[in-house]
Amino acid sequence: MTRKLDLNDIQGNVTRAYGRYSFPFARYYFFHFPDPASGRAFVDKVRTVVTTAARWPKKDQKPEDPSMVQPKPDCTTNIALSFTGLLALGLPVRTLQAFPDEFIEGMKARAFILGDRDPGETERAAEKNKWDAHWDPIWQNNRTSSAPAEGDVHMLVTLNAQLAPDTTDKPHPALAERAEWLLEAARKAGVRHLGGIGAKGDEDYQSASAVFENVGGVNLPTRKEHFGFTDGIGDPVFEGQLSAEDEAKAVVGRGKLMGEGWQPLATGEFVLGHPDESQELPPTAPPYEFMRNGTFVAFRKLHENVGTFDRVLKEEAKRYANVANVGDVEAEETLRAKMCGRWSDGVPLAKVPTYQDWRAFQKQHKFDPDTPDLEAYKNHDVYVRSGEARDFRYADDMPGYKCPSGAHIRRVNTRDYLDPLNKTGKDPETGKPHENPDATSALNKRRRILRRGLPYGPSNNEAKDDSTEQGVIMLIMCASLFRQFEFVQQQWIQYGLDFHQGNNTCPLLGRHDRHKRHTIPENPESGKPPYVMSKLDTFVECRGGDYFFVPSMTALRMMAMGIVDPT
Amino acid sequence: MPDLDTGHLFLTTLAPIKPGAPVDDLQTSHVQLARIALAKLPTAHQSPATNDTKYNSPFARNQRNHLARMFVLEDVVYNGRNTQNPILARIEGNDQTKPQPVDRLNAPYLVFCADIDAITQDGDPLPTNLTAEAQQDVRKSYARKLWDTMEEELTEIYSNCYGFETVKTADQFADYLDRCHVETTMPFHDYYLELPKFHNLPFKTLLYGVLAPLVVGLLALVLWLIGVSDVPLLGWSTLATWIIAIALGLLLAYGAIRFALWNGEKPLPPGKYDDLPSVLKALYVQQKMSDLYVDNQGASDQDLYDAFGKFIEEHKPYDRKSMTQTPGVISSESPKNVTP
Repeated sequence: MTRKLDLNDIQGNVTRAYGRYSFPFARYYFFHFPDPASGRAFVDKVRTVVTTAARWPKKDQKPEDPSMVQPKPDCTTNIALSFTGLLALGLPVRTLQAFPDEFIEGMKARAFILGDRDPGETERAAEKNKWDAHWDPIWQNNRTSSAPAEGDVHMLVTLNAQLAPDTTDKPHPALAERAEWLLEAARKAGVRHLGGIGAKGDEDYQSASAVFENVGGVNLPTRKEHFGFTDGIGDPVFEGQLSAEDEAKAVVGRGKLMGEGWQPLATGEFVLGHPDESQELPPTAPPYEFMRNGTFVAFRKLHENVGTFDRVLKEEAKRYANVANVGDVEAEETLRAKMCGRWSDGVPLAKVPTYQDWRAFQKQHKFDPDTPDLEAYKNHDVYVRSGEARDFRYADDMPGYKCPSGAHIRRVNTRDYLDPLNKTGKDPETGKPHENPDATSALNKRRRILRRGLPYGPSNNEAKDDSTEQGVIMLIMCASLFRQFEFVQQQWIQYGLDFHQGNNTCPLLGRHDRHKRHTIPENPESGKPPYVMSKLDTFVECRGGDYFFVPSMTALRMMAMGIVDPT
Repeated sequence: MPDLDTGHLFLTTLAPIKPGAPVDDLQTSHVQLARIALAKLPTAHQSPATNDTKYNSPFARNQRNHLARMFVLEDVVYNGRNTQNPILARIEGNDQTKPQPVDRLNAPYLVFCADIDAITQDGDPLPTNLTAEAQQDVRKSYARKLWDTMEEELTEIYSNCYGFETVKTADQFADYLDRCHVETTMPFHDYYLELPKFHNLPFKTLLYGVLAPLVVGLLALVLWLIGVSDVPLLGWSTLATWIIAIALGLLLAYGAIRFALWNGEKPLPPGKYDDLPSVLKALYVQQKMSDLYVDNQGASDQDLYDAFGKFIEEHKPYDRKSMTQTPGVISSESPKNVTP
């Protein structure tokens, strides 16, 4: 029997990436509990304004059941707690010790696995060289010892805001109001607000916003990150997340392929207490209702070295233009696409593999450079929201002629590429690569993550280099940080064997201090040789963060009341 | 196993909780509100830690509960997919990589279980057996009692459940709770002071009763097979005899099985002094009797005689209704825990 999820019990950021629901601004606040009573008081205060996953009314739609629909807020509020935070709240030992190891250790202790620390350095050498010296002070001071410490980050509060009425680039005043309310609540409860954010440590909160761009004389939020790629298109869809009507459309290209078209992933991959893709209930800490409807989130501040990226791309493009005998613009655009797996506007290589095809596709969909800016902006938005931008697979391109096997999006969401029954080589009948029409997402469906977060830094109208502060605040949500996030980060981003790439790392997100190559295969029929990029540098580096538990409304209340009883 | 056993009703009711949140408090879901109402419900003064708390459990306001429990049942626990031999699965064309459907409850439920005296009037003796209608009367009588003694708490809890909107009176609550009733399949109860006469199965009678026609039938069959057409002495046809006798034997066997099941389903008789007023009185007398013993250690016969007379007069061991421990407390030491 299907059962609706208790959306009023699940925090809203689990089911919604606010950025895509017209919330282009965010602030992330961090707090420290000096003692359990103040922590409980603060949790009790903030939980009253937490945004749940209850459905928002759609435009011109009468809600069928008013109790199931909540008005869309101008500013959302969500809470997450680190392990040290749960410890500081005085939760029972039995509950605490049943949390997963990686969550108990925290993100800093996992830096080696994640590739945030040079994997070629020993632990001792890394400590001596102060491997985290480039992290924001708040994250350097977090978890400095295994014992509770003054600088430990206990609680993360995320605020997301819509645009102010009648503006295109200003946050709604509700954001500042809610922030003020939050700090006042912390002060009253006796909870310490932690600053130390930013490279200099002079920020009181981590801000984030969509990257704005001047479109036809108006500043508008875009879907771009700071390297210029269109981001956040293929987030997973799971059972119960959306209404049946929305799910049918959204699941295309975002669910799993199991032989019967696109299907939503099992709820238990993203929400604890529900069966997952292995047809089991993922283990949770007692009591049962404490972790049910909760999940985990990895908060990561990922800095983007825009200067280095532009320089490397220019150098490689020059050589590629020469080898492939194409113009400079085509060379640069092609290399970008072959690194990412999508053209810079989000059109997937798996469907539109060549530069000429892409330009024609843009024209056909009317977001090409010749279309007026504002119109192109709108058309592009419609396209990126459509199933068309997501509905593709890789098993019909096993050699990677269209989308290189080592490209970013092919690594982080392998779709049907890793089905063990996929045939490689040429189909003797057609002389082309096998189509593998029955390929499934068998090995991919257990490694999916929800991406909730926004870019941070200046708009595209300002100059950027390595030293300016820009990047992406990644909030990675999943039921198991170890099985899902850490696996993808370690095996698929920082290593390449599953894609026949040896030690080569992800061309965009990977470390490139040792392995600097990315191979771009070419269909032999084209007569062109494959091209190997060889001068890659580390374009994205972590500047700190930690693992947090995202409690359900039930768990927040239990913590606030101090009645978490594991017996 | 039915709800009724040992003169007690093992009541189980499941009320489905509404989805979403009340329109005037969209922040807090109905499940959450039900849980909050339950969390706020005081426990009985049943341990030294709760002995001195201001409020007692609302279930202590009547004299029928031996035990009561309310909780939210979110869902059934999922135990994983049904496994199958892979070779068989392959032959049947059953793809084991495909997820199977998962059984879920259609809503979270508020579960209310109670172990109560199966009576409709306070002070009635515990019954040995009740018809289905009489059991329904007991349930409804109990529900009305609850409504009369804890309407406020019940309203706060149950207003988060489907169909409770129309419940405004004790009778309506009785009907509502009856709609939520499910049969209890495994009651738990205390030990007997004296073993009663159990519903033992007359095993030998049943066995011989079934075997006798079967043996006659088999003998007649053997005779018929070796060509004897009439039963010696009786002169019945062997063919008719074996057919009728074996059919009769099978019919009796079926009847014996039905009888055994019916006998097993009969409720066990109530234990002596097993009703709640008797239990409370026993607790009271036991404590006061201990005091009497301690106070009169080494006393003369006359003093002991006088003290005992006074004890009978003061504590009324013969009266279950007065001078007894109130429900929901662990000691009769304090006068406030004693019903005069």
